[in-house]
Amino acid sequence: MVDYKPQYYPGGSKIAANRRKYIDPKYTLRKLRTISDDDLVRLMGHRVPGEAYKSVHPPLEELGEPACPIRELVEPTPGAKAGDRIRYIQFTDSVYFAPLTPYMRAWMGHMRYRGVDIGVLSGRVPLEARERDLEKVAKDLVETEIFDPARVGIRGATVHGHALRLDENGLMFDALRRFQYDKNKGEVVYVKDQVGVPLDRPIYVGKPIPEEELRRITSQFRVDGEPFRNDAELIQFVQRIHMLRTEAGFDPNKVKDI
Amino acid sequence: MAKYPDKVNLYDDRGKLFDTNVPIEALSPLKNTAIQKIISYVKQCVAVNLEGVEKALATGEVGGKWCIIRGRSLKLDLVKNAGSVADSLKKCLQVDPGDDTEVKVLKGGKHLLVKVPAKRLNAGVEYTTGVTAVAAALCCTIIENFKVNIWDADLVHAAVWGRYPQTMEMLGGNVSSLLAVPQQNEGMGYALRNIPCAHIALIAKKNAMNAAALSSILEQTAMFEMGDAIGSFERFHLLGLAYQGLNADNIVYDLVKENAKTGTLGDVVISTVKRALSDGVIKPLKKTPSGYTLYTTSDLNKWNAYAAAGLLAGTMITCGAARSMQHAPSVFIYFNDLIERETGLPGVDFGRVAGTGVEMSFFSHSIYGGGNPAVFHGNHIVTRHSKGFTIPCVAAAVALDAGTTIYTPEKISGVVGEVLSEVPELRESLRYVNEAAVSIKGGI
Repeated sequence: MVDYKPQYYPGGSKIAANRRKYIDPKYTLRKLRTISDDDLVRLMGHRVPGEAYKSVHPPLEELGEPACPIRELVEPTPGAKAGDRIRYIQFTDSVYFAPLTPYMRAWMGHMRYRGVDIGVLSGRVPLEARERDLEKVAKDLVETEIFDPARVGIRGATVHGHALRLDENGLMFDALRRFQYDKNKGEVVYVKDQVGVPLDRPIYVGKPIPEEELRRITSQFRVDGEPFRNDAELIQFVQRIHMLRTEAGFDPNKVKDI
Repeated sequence: MAKYPDKVNLYDDRGKLFDTNVPIEALSPLKNTAIQKIISYVKQCVAVNLEGVEKALATGEVGGKWCIIRGRSLKLDLVKNAGSVADSLKKCLQVDPGDDTEVKVLKGGKHLLVKVPAKRLNAGVEYTTGVTAVAAALCCTIIENFKVNIWDADLVHAAVWGRYPQTMEMLGGNVSSLLAVPQQNEGMGYALRNIPCAHIALIAKKNAMNAAALSSILEQTAMFEMGDAIGSFERFHLLGLAYQGLNADNIVYDLVKENAKTGTLGDVVISTVKRALSDGVIKPLKKTPSGYTLYTTSDLNKWNAYAAAGLLAGTMITCGAARSMQHAPSVFIYFNDLIERETGLPGVDFGRVAGTGVEMSFFSHSIYGGGNPAVFHGNHIVTRHSKGFTIPCVAAAVALDAGTTIYTPEKISGVVGEVLSEVPELRESLRYVNEAAVSIKGGI
């Protein structure tokens, strides 16, 4: 096999470089905060901390799998092995220099995590997986630099807010007021879980990342930040894919060595 | 003389070499005798739910759920007498003694697998002859064998044919085939694409390689019928069938094996690019100022086939690791997004699989209704856009699911998938197509 170094993402801008960095699974995301396992479970709201995982089918060992060469080869995740339900965590990323864009969550997630189902919409990005697998992934997504407490929301429902102005404390709009700014501590605190059910005790998720730092680490192109139009290499790349798809649709035999 | 220069090595579903240097045209639906047989069987093979007929007659529940005709009931021991029903049915369907008519009793008489003689189909222009002949012959058989009188014969008709002809299809009927009625095909040549993945996965007995193979055979054969696989595009489809559906050069199996224990979808993307590079399918075009290397190819059809094989392997890794079918559409979008960004070359089916994935995500995740991936097929309004490269992956994903859905493939498929899994050519299509390819390769 040839010696090949994955490249992940094209582009000459700082934003493109950030995208490359986050997508590259060898890059360890900087850990900024610690959220206890129990608090993470409470934030997602699928089970009570300490409660056993509910299952959607018996463990694979009891189930007895059909004779299939692919099942024999492909190792199931721990959650799949146990027959866990499929659950989700969903994020809303503000357009104001949040670390990730919705698409980045999918590109990054599929590069880094196994057995995940990620969907991208304009204002929300759900990641679904077997419950115990999800909890592991969610830890990464909430504890590291890709989560800004003020401009990223953990929102299962009523996600509206990604394109709205930030409030006086720099927080993204949330119609369900799941998170608040604690002025005394200078931290963002969740008082409701991802679907808006009040928590029995608040969960602190840390200080908002300063604006300058966000502008440095973001993967969002913005006209008032680093505009997409300035990255000629990336524009040419997107145009190239568009051109190749179109020409190939007309006659794939004529698309040669371009 | 072969039309195309391509030759492939054939492998079985477990990555074992079957034969080398087989021209891709030996895998063409126009030449491969096993594919032609599979297509004939799809038309000829019909499933009869004899237990369903018996129950419908006993309860008067005919023509669909909750549609009960009070006071009408007929107690006939059809299941107990399945042997004699099968014999009479066979005689009724036969054109000549000793022809290819077959009636097989399954599950202790609960189901029948009927093969309508080819001569009946050849005497018409519509594939519906299969179900109409069996339904009508079954009515005649029941009426004669059980001496049903003129006043009860209509109930037999309703128990067998369902609500047809008040409905377009045999709603609530107990005779079914893989093919839907022609009115339900969304365009010309869509018949073979109108087969839900639930049927395919069950016919293959949830062997993901065989499910993908059968689905690919049906989809790519439909491309010939639709007018897609011809002229500039014939080789594009033949390579797609060979590499994605039939594990040519063992690419699908190798990619799965390489990433089986810890690989992510992204890892499969990287493995696919490496394989294409190492086989000389793609090559560096130029380096951009940022240091990114753009790749190019002098054979875009082959690149597409490699990417399609990677897509299937990516589905097998992601849906296989989670033992869940719902991940499939996410794979369709992001495998393609990632491979395009990795190489600068277009994704599978030149963007059409990624587009199909977007729509399928919405309709398979309860956003705009829809259903789980097992109900999707190549005739479905949100999954018809890719020309044969999406549905084989959906079929494989359904086969790999361990039971995460409310409506299981078994529930969706009813008796059809289970009954037709008795046909070896449909159940293990990869093997039979490989054998046929080897037997005809010398003549190509």
